[in-house]
Amino acid sequence: MDLTPEPNQDDEAVGRLSFDPKGVLDAEDGAVLTRLARTVGAVDPVPEGLVERSLFAMTLAGLEAELMEAVYLDAPLAGVRGAAQAARADDAAPAEAKTITFTHDSLTVMITLSPSAGGRVRIDGWAAPAAGLDVELHRPGVDVVSTESDEDGRFSFDAVERGRASLVVRRTDGGGGAVSTPIIEL
Amino acid sequence: MTGSREALPDVDGSGLTLGDRAAIALTEYRAGNRQALGDLVREATPLLWHTVRAQGVDRDAADDVVQSTWVALVRHAETIAEPKAVLKWLLVTAKRAAWEAVRKHRDDEKRRTELPDDSPEHPMALPANDPPPDAEVLRDERDRILWTSLQKLPGRCQELLRLVSLADRPDYRYISAAIGMPMGSIGSTRGRCLAKLRTILDEQGDFSWT
Repeated sequence: MDLTPEPNQDDEAVGRLSFDPKGVLDAEDGAVLTRLARTVGAVDPVPEGLVERSLFAMTLAGLEAELMEAVYLDAPLAGVRGAAQAARADDAAPAEAKTITFTHDSLTVMITLSPSAGGRVRIDGWAAPAAGLDVELHRPGVDVVSTESDEDGRFSFDAVERGRASLVVRRTDGGGGAVSTPIIEL
Repeated sequence: MTGSREALPDVDGSGLTLGDRAAIALTEYRAGNRQALGDLVREATPLLWHTVRAQGVDRDAADDVVQSTWVALVRHAETIAEPKAVLKWLLVTAKRAAWEAVRKHRDDEKRRTELPDDSPEHPMALPANDPPPDAEVLRDERDRILWTSLQKLPGRCQELLRLVSLADRPDYRYISAAIGMPMGSIGSTRGRCLAKLRTILDEQGDFSWT
């Protein structure tokens, strides 16, 4: 990227002044700047939740887990997003029950999402091969919840708040690295 | 003249600047504190947002650019040569990604224009650029006057004043990176831009801004 400074043309551009441009900032300047910050924020507000979405994406990136691939059995699932275009809150109509399959190398994880009490979502998962797995549920702005798969490779999370989430899966015996699903919309 | 000290952002203060705080956060993150970047993300996201938007990126794309800038920080946390310059690194990364988004948007528009069904019977929608942000959302008269007065300044003045206003204790190193202005001239340019803004405001009537 070219960072060469451009010549300073602001001298002429600014024109006539009735205030001293070399003066120290006074309280009036400060008040104008403070109001300006508020005005900039009101005219073009930072999207709601952008900070939480960024932190969520950073946490997932920091895990250095390999990304699993979502397998589309029939039609592409609206709920699955590429990590790069992490979902925006307003553009996903939540489906009522759905099954998503993720794969990475020899590991396959299938999850079924179904409605749960209070508008929440229940996640039933099944992993193959059925080695003991630690499964973590990551969501923006909330603590990580984790569970272990049983001997058949089954695991579940009941009553999860709707919204964006990603599952991170590790073998309990420490073999292999962590893998994570793309961000899904619950 | 006296006014509320609270209303005065500490632009030239001797305390820690946002750039310093960013450097400390990265150093702590490298030392293994995974939570260290949280406050920085909260504090610097508005700065990244408005920097990206200033490049002409629409809101949806800007959302993605800001998120991927933060993800890039995590991925490059160990390899950023100068933790001290991390805020500058963030702004340069965001700006570069913003330009890429603008270029991609233009390419998409161009490709759409070349579609065969773009005929007078099927007129193509006009480019979906966001309308420029306007002052209609501003309820307070002084806010509206301030906003319209800002638009009368040269573009670089507008960008500089927005950046200066957005951070508590901003520092000139990252402003220099964000708007490509030599660091040595930022102080005097800010003085001129602010004096010009005050001049325009003064012409609009006798308002107290404190």
